[in-house]
Amino acid sequence: MQSGKSAAQTVATVKPLQIRGRTFTAIALHLSGWPDRAFFEALEARLNQTPLFFDNAPLVIDLEQAEGLDSAEALMHLTAELRRRKLSVFGIQSGTPAQARAAAEAGLISLPSGRDVALERVSRQGSRPQPAPAPAPKEPANLMVTQPVRSGQTVFADRGDLIVIGSVSSGAEVIAAGNIHIYGRLRGRALAGVNGDTAARIFCHALDAELLAIAGLYRTSENLGADTPRQYVQVYLQGEVLRIESLK
Amino acid sequence: MSKVIVVTSGKGGVGKTTSSAAIGAGLAMRGHKTVVIDFDVGLRNLDMIMGCERRVVFDFINVIQGDAKLKQALIKDRRLENLHVLPTSQTRDKDALTKEGVKAVLDELREEFDYIVCDSPAGIERGAHLAMYYADEAVVVTNPEVSSVRDSDRVLGLLNSKSALAEKGDGSAVKAQLLLTRFDQNRSANGEMMSVEDVLEILAIPLLGIIPESTSVLKASNEGTPVSLDERSPAGKAYIDAVGRLVGEQIEMRINPGEQRRGFFQRLLGRTA
Repeated sequence: MQSGKSAAQTVATVKPLQIRGRTFTAIALHLSGWPDRAFFEALEARLNQTPLFFDNAPLVIDLEQAEGLDSAEALMHLTAELRRRKLSVFGIQSGTPAQARAAAEAGLISLPSGRDVALERVSRQGSRPQPAPAPAPKEPANLMVTQPVRSGQTVFADRGDLIVIGSVSSGAEVIAAGNIHIYGRLRGRALAGVNGDTAARIFCHALDAELLAIAGLYRTSENLGADTPRQYVQVYLQGEVLRIESLK
Repeated sequence: MSKVIVVTSGKGGVGKTTSSAAIGAGLAMRGHKTVVIDFDVGLRNLDMIMGCERRVVFDFINVIQGDAKLKQALIKDRRLENLHVLPTSQTRDKDALTKEGVKAVLDELREEFDYIVCDSPAGIERGAHLAMYYADEAVVVTNPEVSSVRDSDRVLGLLNSKSALAEKGDGSAVKAQLLLTRFDQNRSANGEMMSVEDVLEILAIPLLGIIPESTSVLKASNEGTPVSLDERSPAGKAYIDAVGRLVGEQIEMRINPGEQRRGFFQRLLGRTA
């Protein structure tokens, strides 16, 4: 009586077992005929391409195109060979009744044939990389360029100021998270404070820019105006207005 | 120590092939063993400008693909014994060029020649890239007009980033110099053309020479004679001077070396530039 009561309590608190439905992804290995030496060579080659991907992956042998393979010995041999290559064989699919019996004898289960999916999807699920540890807060890093920035080139200081000693040609782009200093003529595009820093400024010796932008607010050469200073200038944001001012 | 010099520009029609032929001939006239290679696969022009189009049997692509030996493809100039031409194929395209193939041919040529002049195709795609890739020095051919200057600027950027020397990453770089061609002093003075100073300010590289616009250039091309062989023409003289600077001589820059016996008024008027 006493013991029966305690058993009932145990059942109520910690269940000894739970049964849940579970879907998971397995790899299907399609055989086309008897697994001969060429088959194992091809398999080795495939495994070597992505060695980690197949490691201990659950694997089903698909026998749809291998009707002759219906002896337990042959299946046992194949299973042993596959397991030796770190493939976790657990069953067969699309087998004939004879093959299902042979599989049962070889310790494999016979599955109803499933639906194939592209391997990329499997690989994404199978070998999802561990989430990287949260990146340490980035130190500001300034970038110094001591050559002219040529047409077609882009220079990007993604974590600080950009200093160019030389000119920035028409068709070139200089971009910085912080300020941009150009000791030369600016003919191309300059974008400062691209991460939203409205306090960023652009300085240059001579201004002939195609485009000036600070924190996303821009002006093109067309709407700079004739009275804009062209020598020793700084460009900054005043509220929502891009101001160009002489430093002299 | 042999030198590979690429003649390049980005823009087409500015005078790369004419300049390659003239520089190659100029170097040979100074006694340097020189070969000029046509990299413009599919648009074979160099052999015509150098007057050897009837003697082409094998070409650069045949050599790259191993169908012919380099010796079979090289054409010796009839006028200058130190000058050779490696013509390109008219029937193939630029995909026939490979990095390894070009390197093998250049390495073989380096053993025999003092100067290897590579005539680059226009553009910045495969042909132009492979022509400049193994260069030690570059001659950037530019006309005094904005689109040509901008394209030259783009090419200078590629020389600084996409050449074998730049990819070594030890700070070595292709030595680039400017050759300003089709320059007309009067039109430049009038403001119709850019001035030498404007072009130099944008490109910021040393000036190798200024080739005046001259009727002798077209005439020489049609005859198949490199311009520098015509020592009486202003353009020919300017190329000879430029070649002198290329080999390291100090030669005074003259805008129009052919016109020295000018009248008093002409001399006065010419000084504005």
